[in-house]
Amino acid sequence: MFWIFKRVWFRIVCVAGLVSVMGAGQAAAAAEINIYSHRQQFLLQPFLDAFTAETGIKTRVVYASQGLAQRLQAEGEASPADVILTVDIARLSEYAELDLLAPVESPVLSTNIPANLRAGDNRWFALSLRARLVATSKDRVAENAISDIEDLADPKWQGTVCSRKGSHVYNRSLLASIIAANGPQAAEAWAEGLVANFARKPQGNDRAQAKAIFEGQCDIAIMNHYYYGNMLFGDKEEQRDWANAIRLVFTNQGGRGNHVNISGGGLAKHSPNREEAIRFLEFLTSPTAQQLYGEVNYEYPVNPAVSPGGVLSSWGEFKQDDLSIERLAELAPQAQMIIDRTGW
Amino acid sequence: MVATFLSYWSARPARRVDGWSASAVLVCLLILGPILALCLTAFGDSNGLWGHLVSTVLPRYVANTLMLMAGVGALAVLFGVSTAWVVTRYDFAGKALFEWMLLLPAAIPAYIIAYTYTDFLEYAGPVQSMLRDIFGWDRPADYWFPEIRSLGGAMLVMASVLYPYIYMVTRIAFRLTPSSLFEIALVHRKSQFWSVGLPLARPAITAGLALVLMEVVSDFGTVEYFAVETITLGIFNVWLGMNNIVAAAQISLFGFVFILSLLGLELYARSRQRFAGTGRSQTGVAPLRPGFRGQLACQAVCILPLLLGFLVPVGVLLKFVLGGSIEGQASQLMGTVGSSVGMAFMAALFIVLLSSLIVIAATYRGGAVVRNLAVAASTGYAIPGTMLSIGVLMFAGVVDRFWGGVVGDPRASLLLGGAGVLMTAYLVRFQAVGYGAMMSGIRRLPDNMMNASRVLGHGFGDSLRRVLLPLLRGSMLAGGLLVFVDVMKELPITLLLRPFDFETLATYTYQFAKDEMLEEAALPALMIVVAGLIPVILMNRMLRRAG
Repeated sequence: MFWIFKRVWFRIVCVAGLVSVMGAGQAAAAAEINIYSHRQQFLLQPFLDAFTAETGIKTRVVYASQGLAQRLQAEGEASPADVILTVDIARLSEYAELDLLAPVESPVLSTNIPANLRAGDNRWFALSLRARLVATSKDRVAENAISDIEDLADPKWQGTVCSRKGSHVYNRSLLASIIAANGPQAAEAWAEGLVANFARKPQGNDRAQAKAIFEGQCDIAIMNHYYYGNMLFGDKEEQRDWANAIRLVFTNQGGRGNHVNISGGGLAKHSPNREEAIRFLEFLTSPTAQQLYGEVNYEYPVNPAVSPGGVLSSWGEFKQDDLSIERLAELAPQAQMIIDRTGW
Repeated sequence: MVATFLSYWSARPARRVDGWSASAVLVCLLILGPILALCLTAFGDSNGLWGHLVSTVLPRYVANTLMLMAGVGALAVLFGVSTAWVVTRYDFAGKALFEWMLLLPAAIPAYIIAYTYTDFLEYAGPVQSMLRDIFGWDRPADYWFPEIRSLGGAMLVMASVLYPYIYMVTRIAFRLTPSSLFEIALVHRKSQFWSVGLPLARPAITAGLALVLMEVVSDFGTVEYFAVETITLGIFNVWLGMNNIVAAAQISLFGFVFILSLLGLELYARSRQRFAGTGRSQTGVAPLRPGFRGQLACQAVCILPLLLGFLVPVGVLLKFVLGGSIEGQASQLMGTVGSSVGMAFMAALFIVLLSSLIVIAATYRGGAVVRNLAVAASTGYAIPGTMLSIGVLMFAGVVDRFWGGVVGDPRASLLLGGAGVLMTAYLVRFQAVGYGAMMSGIRRLPDNMMNASRVLGHGFGDSLRRVLLPLLRGSMLAGGLLVFVDVMKELPITLLLRPFDFETLATYTYQFAKDEMLEEAALPALMIVVAGLIPVILMNRMLRRAG
């Protein structure tokens, strides 16, 4: 083995490796914020670039889909993290429950975000809205055949419905909203009916459901609205066909409105760069950034002063379920139990 | 008789604590700390969730996990052992090529192969489209086609990338089997494979199989994508869906204990079987040269796993890379390649050095305590990466708070906030790989070798340097290369524990693959494979020399 230590290249690689590994963990220089993000890097980058261009404050990111709350908790007071960003309310409230977020009293945030879209104690804030709606086949399902999310459990749709797995956070939140609206028993009966109507075992992401409608495997699917925009206006030709095969149905427009989830964020409790971090959160609710949400990923703005713009406006207004977002997080464990029992 | 006595003597525990044992124990405790942290979490209150789990999903999770383990295990043994036998015992056209190409699937992460196979075999994929064209079908209802996103699909794809673990060790075992034994089988008209090759290779096969099974139990990416509900998937539902980390830790320990009992059984079963060759020239039996049909059969045995585990997935990735525009990505990826390779290299070096320390101390210095600790410390491989990371985080948090108290600054950190925590987690997870490689190397050495050196008046350190380490060089290199490939592919630990703005090829691939954006994920995925090729080729050169 020792011959290898004598080689020059080996020593160079060792030193270079050591330097790069050590350097990776160095503390932030001035005017920098550190972000723990559950939102994918490529979706976040345009916002970071715009923020740095506007303020001169640099950003550093760790992106992961799970476990960042535990990382923050373990780091405790020594944590370098300033801002937390998530793509659903359940994850955001996990941080709040573990007492990892600091309340932020900011007139800018209070003005830009309606009260039902932020925590009562201002520990977290919604930054964009996503509607979870129903997609139907243009060819095989009549235009007004489905109007409420409850219709998906109707036995007449047996063998036609597709969905991603129930335990995905988007479906869990949807079911939580149904529990809030109709009570747990009705919600469980609905989930049973839905599972009985499935055309195939739940699988894939929301885009895969549109594809399955295009291919004729199913006629009805549950999906988040922005997937449609991404497929229709993305640079992949085949996906345009998938989008063109489906019709979007905003559900429960005659009642409580369509279920919405949020992407959101908050200030880390032990943030070392508090001021800059709050500035970043404020920036994300500013008209520039709010419009960027629509442009980057077809998400709806939370700031009532900002119109969705372009494509999103052309889809028309829809009535949102104005259930407090916090309630969704509270009901999530109950929803997961129903999902386990019904095998969604 | 003399050999038995000597082996007892060498394994006899040292009377007093020496530096070797003490440092080995320290390293083992560092590795066991995070596992212990996870155990402590599991002792918390799970709010009666178990009743719900047992009555709803847990039986399904356990049954699926068992079936997946059985299926992947059986297929991987079939692929690994048959190919190893064919390339060592027969001479056929293309053998030299197959010998190293059969290792290639090891460079492909299981989650990538899941994506590529779905693309290949799904309704809109090339296979079904072609079938529809040939037979004139229009709709899915017109014909039946096996669903790749299923338990069977998961077995097939996981076995086809995991079998190299078995192939590699079994091939060495076959090569090192004394030719005289094969000749005895020949004389007695017994099957060379069933009567000699297989029984003698059993410890090697089991060692490889153990790694395969641990990979299966801890896999998240593939089972999630294929919607196969295993214990690991259950852990995530409980943790993220019900905000119940306690119950999640309990389920992961449940799987962990399960794997441990399997390993324990096997260790017990072979505790009295050991085999060490002392001669030099007994091995290297001349391979048989079969006829044309026999050669075709040999080639078929080798082509199948290679096709499944390498050619098809790489073909799909290549199709995406060549079909898409990659200029924008290529420049971003250069830095990522550097950090991936740098990290994997450092981790491999770090882990091999510490594994060597543990293995040498356990074999020649410490007593039962060190040996048992060493075995215990190589179990981190069976814990799903994300849960393991959480254990490491808790452990590191405790260490850092202690350190903060020592230096009097609550913001001071030893492990967290840098690459230290990531290295610790790699060590906990991949120590099994280094340990396995070193242990199988040291087991093949006759006990009396070190004794002879000691008797001749050399000290322990001197004997180590002159006798043992030169003989273990191959095993160290093998362990290092395996760890290198594993770290290159590793996803969940790197994702969660990495420093700010630190991207490896695996994490870069994941942000796209997570959303099923295969076109964007293809180039970095292909680069993981390419980076894995170099160690694979090196490994093969080493294997040849071993024989």
